[in-house]
Amino acid sequence: MKFLCVPCDQPMKLTSVKPPDRGSLSVVYACAACGYEMAMLTNPYETQVVSSLGVKIEPATDAAGPAGAVAAAASPTPGDAAGATNKEGGGKCPFAEMIPGLMGEGIAATTDGAMGAGAAGAPPAWTDAAVARLEVIPSFVRPMARTGIERFARERGYATIDETVLDEARDFFGM
Amino acid sequence: MKGYHDIKGDGGSRIVEQVVARQGRIDAALKDVRHLVAVGSGKGGVGKSTLTMHLAAALAACGGKVAVLDADLNGPSIARMAGVAGTTPLPVDGRMALPRSRAGFGVFSMGSLLTEDRALEFDSVAKGDSHTWRATREFTFLAEVMGAVAWGKLDALVVDLPPGAERMVQYAEFLGPRARFVLVTIPSDVSRGVVARSAAALASAKARVLGYIENMDGYACASCDTVRPLFAPAERRDLGLTCLGRIPFDPDLAAACDRGESMTSRANRPSTRALAETATRLMTLLEMPPT
Repeated sequence: MKFLCVPCDQPMKLTSVKPPDRGSLSVVYACAACGYEMAMLTNPYETQVVSSLGVKIEPATDAAGPAGAVAAAASPTPGDAAGATNKEGGGKCPFAEMIPGLMGEGIAATTDGAMGAGAAGAPPAWTDAAVARLEVIPSFVRPMARTGIERFARERGYATIDETVLDEARDFFGM
Repeated sequence: MKGYHDIKGDGGSRIVEQVVARQGRIDAALKDVRHLVAVGSGKGGVGKSTLTMHLAAALAACGGKVAVLDADLNGPSIARMAGVAGTTPLPVDGRMALPRSRAGFGVFSMGSLLTEDRALEFDSVAKGDSHTWRATREFTFLAEVMGAVAWGKLDALVVDLPPGAERMVQYAEFLGPRARFVLVTIPSDVSRGVVARSAAALASAKARVLGYIENMDGYACASCDTVRPLFAPAERRDLGLTCLGRIPFDPDLAAACDRGESMTSRANRPSTRALAETATRLMTLLEMPPT
C-alpha cells in the first residue's frame, strides 16, 4: 500500500508506528514536500493479515534521505512508538507487542501442548550463549524447541543449559 | 496525479523487502538440494504421508541423500512414522538441525513439536476470523522453516502436502518452478476423480507432475505372500499421467508406520519391493532433463 500527497503529487513516507491499541495499528505517513501527516489505522483483520506475512512494519532508517528529513520533522514525542524503537536500536516489531506470541512466540499451544511440557520441576536456567544460539530457530518453533531441550536437560539432572548441553543434545539425537 | 506504479518503493513499510529477503533465505538454504519433490493427492486418506516416508526410506536405502518436510501442519503424521515424535529441532552451526528418522534422514514435522492431542493454533487479534488469514500464516510458517533448516547436500527433499485439490496450486506457487509433483491415489473412481482434478489444477499452474502412485493396489497377504484384490475390479478413469508404481496394502507396512520404522529391512515383502521399484523409477524421472 502506498500513499500519495495529492496537492504535492508526491509519495508519502512512513515515519512512525504508534503503540498498538486493541488489535489496531497506527502507522503515520508524512509528505516530504509539505510535511503534511496522516495516519493509517488498521482494523484487527487487516493487522492480522499483514502480520501473517511474517513481516515487520517500521520506518526506514536512512536518515539522510527525504524520509529521514520527514522523520526529523515529525519529531516523535518521548515515549511514543518511534521513540521506543530508536531507543532499542530499531528492529522492534509493533506486531510483536500488539499480539503476544504471534511474532515472538508464535503458536498458541506452546506451553501445555509442547512435547515434554508438564514434566515436574522448575525449568533449567539458560546461559546467554545458549539463548543466543537458539535464535536461529524460527520464532514460532523456538518455544517448543526450548521446551524439548529443557526436558532433555532435566532428564539428565542439569540445572543450567549452556552450549555444552546443546552439543550433547545434538550428539544424542544424531543431528 | 501519480498512480501506484509511478511510485518506486513501498512508501517505507519495507514489507516487499522483507518478503524478498525471506525468499533469499529459502534459496540459500536449498541451494544444495538437487530435487524438490512434492507428494500430494487432493484426496485425504490415500496414504500420502505413508508413501512419502517409505519412498524417502527407499531412496535412502539406495544411497540417496534425502530429507522430508511435513507440510501438513494441521495433521502432521510424519513425525510418528519417522520415530521422531518428541524430538525437537536443535540449533547447530547457525542453522536449525532436524531430528533424524530411524532410516537416517532429516525430518521436519509439527508432530515432533506438538503432542497428538493438540491442534496447531496461532495467536491472533482476529481469532474468530481465521479463514481470512490462516493460510497466509501457514505458508509464512513453512517459508521460515525452509529458510532456517540446515538441509545440506540432498538428492531430494520430499515434501508431504496436505489434502485439498485447490491447495495444490497454492503449493505449486509456493514451492516454485523447481518443484516436481507426485500424486497419490487408490484404486477407486472417487479417488481418481479427485486426483484428476488436482492434476488439472497443477497443469493450470504450469507445475510439472512426474506421475502418480496407486496405493492400496491389492492386499499383500503375509501368510501366503500373494497380493489379492482389495477393490472390486473395474475399468478405471485414465489419469493421463505416468504410473510410477502400484503399492499393495500391507498390514506390516501400516504397523511399521505406527512404530516409526521403515520397511527396508523387510526386503522380501511385496510392498517393500514395490516401494523400491517406485523409488528407482522416481529418481530416474527426476534425473531426466525436462522436455
